[in-house]
Amino acid sequence: METAELKLQVKQQIIKFLNLTTVKPEDIKDDEPLFGEGLGLDSIDSIELIVLLSREYGINIQDPKEGRKILTDINTMVAYIEKNRTK
Amino acid sequence: MVYFHESVCISPQKSFPDMDLSEVRESENNLLDVIEPNYPGIPAGAKRRMGKSVRMAVGAALPLLEKYPLPDGIIIATANGGMEDCIKFLNQILEYKEGLLTPANFVQSTSNAAAGQIAMVTKNHQYNTTHVHRGLAFENALMDVVMLIEENKDAGYLLGSTDEISPYNYNIDRLAGWYANEYIANRNLYHSKAKGTIAGEGTFMVWVNGEAQGASARLVAIKTLHGEDVSSLQETLKRFLSENISSGQMPDILITGENGDERQQPYFDAVESTMDARVTVARFKHLSGEYCTASSFALWLSIQIIQSGTLPAVLIKKRGSSNASRQILIYNNYRGLQHSFMLVSAP
Amino acid sequence: MGLISAIGDSMEQNRLALQQERSGIGDIQYYQTAYAGRLPSAEVKISTERLNKKIFGTPLASITRTSLLALYAVEEAIQDSHLSKQELISAETALVGATTVGGMCLTDELYHDALAKENGTSYLMSYDYASISLAIQERYGIGGEISTINTACSSSANAILYGARLIRHGFAKRAIVGGAESLAKFTINGFNALNILSSQPCAPFDRDRKGLNLGEGAAFLVLEREEDCRDKRKYAYLSGFGNRNDAYHPSSNSPDGEGPYLSMKAALENSGLAAEEISYINAHGTGTENNDETESRAMLRLFDQTPAFSSTKSFTGHTLGAAGAIEAVYSIMNIFHQEVYPSLSFRHPIPETGLIPVLHFAKQEIRHVMSNSFGFGGNCSTLIFFKNIVHGLFS
Repeated sequence: METAELKLQVKQQIIKFLNLTTVKPEDIKDDEPLFGEGLGLDSIDSIELIVLLSREYGINIQDPKEGRKILTDINTMVAYIEKNRTK
Repeated sequence: MVYFHESVCISPQKSFPDMDLSEVRESENNLLDVIEPNYPGIPAGAKRRMGKSVRMAVGAALPLLEKYPLPDGIIIATANGGMEDCIKFLNQILEYKEGLLTPANFVQSTSNAAAGQIAMVTKNHQYNTTHVHRGLAFENALMDVVMLIEENKDAGYLLGSTDEISPYNYNIDRLAGWYANEYIANRNLYHSKAKGTIAGEGTFMVWVNGEAQGASARLVAIKTLHGEDVSSLQETLKRFLSENISSGQMPDILITGENGDERQQPYFDAVESTMDARVTVARFKHLSGEYCTASSFALWLSIQIIQSGTLPAVLIKKRGSSNASRQILIYNNYRGLQHSFMLVSAP
Repeated sequence: MGLISAIGDSMEQNRLALQQERSGIGDIQYYQTAYAGRLPSAEVKISTERLNKKIFGTPLASITRTSLLALYAVEEAIQDSHLSKQELISAETALVGATTVGGMCLTDELYHDALAKENGTSYLMSYDYASISLAIQERYGIGGEISTINTACSSSANAILYGARLIRHGFAKRAIVGGAESLAKFTINGFNALNILSSQPCAPFDRDRKGLNLGEGAAFLVLEREEDCRDKRKYAYLSGFGNRNDAYHPSSNSPDGEGPYLSMKAALENSGLAAEEISYINAHGTGTENNDETESRAMLRLFDQTPAFSSTKSFTGHTLGAAGAIEAVYSIMNIFHQEVYPSLSFRHPIPETGLIPVLHFAKQEIRHVMSNSFGFGGNCSTLIFFKNIVHGLFS
């Protein structure tokens, strides 16, 4: 899958998983922080996204602190998925 | 003295933002679900995770808190909390065999999520509690507020109730025999002679303080009772009336929680028969459906009736000789075990 | 008072374990979960069937473990305070129960009943929170005000203060107050999903703490006005309480512990005490990264000199809706017996706060004890108990 295509897919999955009903994929910029500013996600969302990575891409992150680095923005998330996905 | 000021009600009928009972919305499949507004006041970030009961509660509370931004306490009643979130989480537990699960449903399913979210959204650090005692959860929350006002006469409180009907708690209560197996339209609710009733849901929020000025209604007294004995219910009522109404007097209106379930009818009949010919008898469950905190819908109606001086025709069961609507007695009973009386009057 | 927890099925047994520094946290034996052997918990060491038989003789088909634990503790409390049948059924006797899991400890049955077309289980009326108080009401015919409170992990602290207020306002002459909780797939999976369960016995206030262990149990207390219990044994006075909200996050405390701070402060004000008069704090101390640090910060903000404190959750696990009541009983035992109970598994203080809890059982002069309970939804409550008879329950 092309990176651009994967980015769109990840954005759609985030929206669905976190029930971001008012957000469209194009509203999420690739280099915009997912937490705090930007989308304004919180610690419960970071756990939800770790579960997303596991269920959709077979990536298991043990340490939540490591997870937070991977989940910085769409770019970091997609780069990590491309490198580590098992499905 | 305890006074009710502005209130908000989200119900299966047209109650939000204003009451309009000229047309009764019909039930479907033995349930009445609420007409949900789109809650422009709830921050999108918080709303996306809210289940229905929490969303209704926060959505009803915020408009009130715009007017009264600093409650000295938030007191919420909900018997079941976020039932839908709860079952969604159970579903995850089973589907993923207790594996890696997402926590949002779990956090939202706790009963105190509504009171907690209201505090969080409005940054309110004051007294905050959640009463969950099934059919008396709302009455207990009201008792709590009565005591709070006694403790702090200058204070104002947000009192509310919220309960949702999800397919899951509907099914559990249906299996237990509380909802009728045959189809009952809400307009025929009181003539069904069925075992069981129809389900409902709703939320009610009201600003309560010790200040008569600007109030819509006053709480004269409240009494709750557990038990299945009709005669001790009647005795309790007689004592309640003699303690709170001058002798020889009666309330203008009795609103009961009659719900068409023949098993509960003896209690309603007993209360009705304690009234005399002056009292107009009214009922409301064909509008709200049955749910644990439904008595709060009756309180909302009572506040509207006292304030407007008119009793909507759709509520009337039997017209009494008193044309006034200054004092209303609400009697509700949940499953023949939990009874409550609330006496409300003009401020 | 009466209680049952992972460290014993009576007040006396609990006290013995606290004195001997014997924790109840260990492998899961009785309840069914995939986490048995992986996540230690503090189980009450009796099967639900045996508990049912012990209480009812012929086991009741519709009752849940949570209600059974509640009934067990209530029975001890009633015996201990010699309440007569007449007193129990009196309209002046109130009952305030608390729980967070309620009947949802029966995860599989609940799921079945939520979806089944027909053939419901025998538990259809037992899943809600109120079922706990109603089971007690039914068994003893309690005649007064009955309520159930669920404010997550501060539930039974709020039940205690609500009961005290019912008495203060004349809605009851006496109140049976407390809470019950049983281990459940529902809660173990919920807390695990939040990454706050420890795979080791919890180490409250320790630098390297890894999270909490869930526990189960129940505790109930009988409250009466001083003038109504002249010739009865008085363990202690409830001299003050506070209830405040952190208003920060659905499942964790604000960094400075604003809610915990305000709650402790409100309790002090309510009791008319100065901070330095507190002899000991039974801390909330769950062993999670967030709680212990923020609670420490709140204590440092409130007290010039932090009093002796510890977390008995290192014995009982976190019993959620029962925690406030179990820890209230321990706090009262601190006062009645003039002794302190330790925090187990502590090694190094949290660098940012440097607080060290009580590490060993000791006899000590105790006058005022504070008990903290904080929960999801920002709900924070604090109770203060008092030894002397100088000013009474509701001075």
